[in-house]
Amino acid sequence: MGKEPAKSGPLARRPDNSAFMQQRLPAWSPMLTASTVLPFMYCMAALCLFLGVSLLVTVQGTQEMKVLVIILFGDVAILTAVRLPCSASVFLPGVMLFFYYGLQNFHQNLRKYMDSRDDAQMVGRTDSLKNPSTYCEPYIRDEKGLPIAPCGAVANSMFNDSFILQYLGSPTETVSLYRKGIAWYTDENVKFRNPPLNNQTLDQAFEGTIKPPYWKNPVYKLDPSDPNNNGFINEDLIVWMREAAFPNFKKLYGILKRTGRFADGLPAGNYNVIVSYNFPAQHFRGRKLVVLSTVTWLGGQNHFLPIAYLVTSGLVFLLAAALTTIWWKFGRNAKNLEE
Amino acid sequence: MDGQTLKYALSFELRQAFLDLALSCKAVICCRVSPLQKSEIVDMVKKHVKAITLAIGDGANDVGMIQTAHVGVGISGNEGMQATNSSDYSIAQFSYLEKLLLVHGAWSYNRVTKCILYCFYKNVVLYIIEQNMLRFPQLYRITQNAEGFNTKIFTALPPFTLGIFDRPCSQQNMLRFPQLYRITQNAEGFNTKVFWGHCINALIHSIILFWFPLKMLEHDSPFSDGHGNDYLFVGNMVYTAGMVMQCWYFWLGLILVPATCLLRDFAGMVMQCWYFWLGLILVPATCLLRDFVWNAGRRTVRKTLLEEVQELEARAVDPGAAVLRDASGRSLNERAHLLTRVFRKTPSSVGRSNSVQQTVTHGYAFSQEEHGVVSQTQVVRSYDTTRQRPSV
Repeated sequence: MGKEPAKSGPLARRPDNSAFMQQRLPAWSPMLTASTVLPFMYCMAALCLFLGVSLLVTVQGTQEMKVLVIILFGDVAILTAVRLPCSASVFLPGVMLFFYYGLQNFHQNLRKYMDSRDDAQMVGRTDSLKNPSTYCEPYIRDEKGLPIAPCGAVANSMFNDSFILQYLGSPTETVSLYRKGIAWYTDENVKFRNPPLNNQTLDQAFEGTIKPPYWKNPVYKLDPSDPNNNGFINEDLIVWMREAAFPNFKKLYGILKRTGRFADGLPAGNYNVIVSYNFPAQHFRGRKLVVLSTVTWLGGQNHFLPIAYLVTSGLVFLLAAALTTIWWKFGRNAKNLEE
Repeated sequence: MDGQTLKYALSFELRQAFLDLALSCKAVICCRVSPLQKSEIVDMVKKHVKAITLAIGDGANDVGMIQTAHVGVGISGNEGMQATNSSDYSIAQFSYLEKLLLVHGAWSYNRVTKCILYCFYKNVVLYIIEQNMLRFPQLYRITQNAEGFNTKIFTALPPFTLGIFDRPCSQQNMLRFPQLYRITQNAEGFNTKVFWGHCINALIHSIILFWFPLKMLEHDSPFSDGHGNDYLFVGNMVYTAGMVMQCWYFWLGLILVPATCLLRDFAGMVMQCWYFWLGLILVPATCLLRDFVWNAGRRTVRKTLLEEVQELEARAVDPGAAVLRDASGRSLNERAHLLTRVFRKTPSSVGRSNSVQQTVTHGYAFSQEEHGVVSQTQVVRSYDTTRQRPSV
């Protein structure tokens, strides 16, 4: 510490004369006087106004179309037995790029529901594949004792509707969508991995496991069109497994493939959305939506932030004006100080 | 008064009268007092007067009085360590009492009140957010994991540094303006009003901190590539907002909180999202707006002495040279007071029966100097009390 050797005498135990010991450390504390606060507040109001306006312009540049999917046929019994495609006609003005499906009143944020998954299984560990964690109860083994892959309520309740978007132009054309690249990069490549293949095929790797009870196909057959999109790395599964925070949410289904007629986006016109209605929304009194949206650098359409910025800017300006009047009346004379 | 007289004065019938008389004097000197009587006097004052008592002593006979008083100060040195061992504070010389009270006592008060208020503020904000989160149960999970680590570092460090380093104003000015000590005496830094004000403030902040990120991310597509988000993301934003408010001069919180979340990918995803940065400007600005304006307004309309001294310090003006006036226009520092006194004959007011403190106090007189050139015995003996004092 650099202390000198202890001297004898009355000053032997004096503490150091350093800035730390004598509490002389330099410090800065902001003093909110009118002369500092007022310019700052006006600048802040201007900044918030600028941000609010630019964000508003950006958000107004997004387009979003929400279509409610209503089942047109009878009652529940018929629906479970018969999978009927249904279609809804929509008119889309201009460029749309992202295709979402939305659910309302589906609480993916329920705690027991969210705990009911096994991330170790989904990252491809073989021991977890055969012995899923107990968090997945009751979707852990079937009656014969075979482990369920993927286990848990989250995977079990996977959204399994499929949508076909058709452009009703001179020849009716199906709009093709990218069904990959819809999940987070780290999810696709790190968090969800198939069990190691070791010169086997995928269904052999999943030998000895069984599909979840609500599923139609086992996990290695989720996507017949693309062999790389099967197993735990199926993107729809990954997107579903990222539980939403709110009961009314939307999840990405597909991204527009900009080829041919759709090179500049979706042309204005009439469209058909053909829904293979598998997910029974009426069981939880929810609703299904199809959402088509463009995005900007700020994401999809959400007016909250620009409006909040504008309101804050107005508020700050009002308060700054009030403070200026107060300063004008009281503070300018500085009666308290003479030198 | 000497010990013998005190025996009668402290008896039951005379006690109240003695107390009234003593309180109307500026100073009471008792000599030849036994230790028990010393503590009895302190006890009497403690019980009947709404004031904090301080006892200072240096010998074993002072131990009783030191322990009875609210604050006991022991002087270590000539008479052994008895007094210091039983005291709350111990100093080496009597003259250090001035600094102990005016500087360290006031600073201590300031620091402790700030820490307490901060502690309550932090708890209210974080736990009201958690209560809200029970509506969204799994958002709770992020606070559980992040909390263990972050709480200890980010929310423990601010009170720690405040407690060690905070200074309302510098040492010299605390000594020069003993009126600043009034702040601690009047409990201006910590009383019911201040406390509840802070709690309500915390409540409002927590509402803003919770709802703003929630509303921002409600549409589930915050990224420029159309990807969605999940509960962890929302929880993370809320919690970061909360952390930033707790330690808004600890900008590390910005970077480290997303980084210490459950999943490694989070730091990248959260930072990539424009809502995070835009929210980071908006949310603290909204929360702090009220405090900002209120403080600035109050300072403009009616400055307290402390604030004036701080401003002078900040402008590096020597406050001793300036003449400061209090609210009633009376000058507040020594020089000004002496100057007015020189040219004016003020009649001494008689019959100040219940003025324990004068309306204008101007400093203390610690004339006791130990090991000085002129010893106390000499000073006392040089006064000739038989002579008439000239009237002032």
